[in-house]
Amino acid sequence: MTCSSVDLKAYALGEPSGGPGEAAHIESCESCREELERLRVTQTALLSLTDEEVPQRIAFVSDKIFEPHWWQRMWRSGPAMGFAAAALLAIAIFAHAFVRPVTVVQSTGISAAQVQRMVATEVDRRVTAEVAKVAAASNAREARAAQMLEAAEKSFELQRQSDIAMMQQTARYYESKMGQLMVASNRNYGGAQ
Amino acid sequence: MLVSRWEKRVFNYILRLVGNREDALDLSQDVFLKAYQNLRKLEDPGRFAAWLYRIAHNEAYSLLRKNRPEGEMAMEPSTANATARMYPMELSLAVERALSRLTVDQREAVQLKVYQGFKFDEMAEILGCPVSTIKSRLYTALDLLKESLAPANTGRVS
Repeated sequence: MTCSSVDLKAYALGEPSGGPGEAAHIESCESCREELERLRVTQTALLSLTDEEVPQRIAFVSDKIFEPHWWQRMWRSGPAMGFAAAALLAIAIFAHAFVRPVTVVQSTGISAAQVQRMVATEVDRRVTAEVAKVAAASNAREARAAQMLEAAEKSFELQRQSDIAMMQQTARYYESKMGQLMVASNRNYGGAQ
Repeated sequence: MLVSRWEKRVFNYILRLVGNREDALDLSQDVFLKAYQNLRKLEDPGRFAAWLYRIAHNEAYSLLRKNRPEGEMAMEPSTANATARMYPMELSLAVERALSRLTVDQREAVQLKVYQGFKFDEMAEILGCPVSTIKSRLYTALDLLKESLAPANTGRVS
């Protein structure tokens, strides 16, 4: 290994790149040793500079400059937000009381008596209409009931006539049967005598 | 937690780049705010330091670009006045003077390697450059610093 192949600065800075032979060469080479010594003196001199203290603490998330704005704090606070909303509502109501447009009732030439008559007429009209509607519905219900009653009577009459016919037919049957029995009985009685 | 662990290192890194305490403080706040906002985008937690310094690098360079024309980016920052009161010792003054003669890129490479202890590949990730570019900047800076702080004839600090 030669002097030119030795990276003395990397060696001095703690990152030797020349392999195991590098250290041996430096140990044996006077000029390399001297150069290395100068580099180490330079480093030592550089390191005599001490770090300066930070004048003030660097601000970070916990420091004041990163504190949220008042509106951010309020937005995150439920009670404060509720209070603000209530205050806003109160202000709105108060303002509304003063700036609300006044409703002006302009005279149209109609007197109170006329209004009352109009109201009474309208009420009468509506009541009459409702009564007529209810009466019509009642009449319709009565008509339907009469129809149903008539149909029921008709059905009952037909059933009654049918029953009477059946009864008459049954009576005639028993009557003929009784006649036959009587004749047979008389014959048997005469033969026996 | 995030701030308390890293604020001093990040603040000093930015301070030595921009050379102004107020700007460094403002930028540090921006860095931690952006880091906090984008923490979910960090895929590998093991690369957090490089990721954080990448944000710090971008913030510092945004300010430097805004404050200076493009051609003057390599000019030395005004750290000497700002830090002279803080480092009264002769050695510290010599180091300050030597660092102020470097370009911003060279000084940042020294910052990341010597003061922050990053590896070459991490520096490449932070600065968005190939490792070869990082080494070139750093080695040039070390040669300049070495001439000021450890001259060949004495081997000691001037």
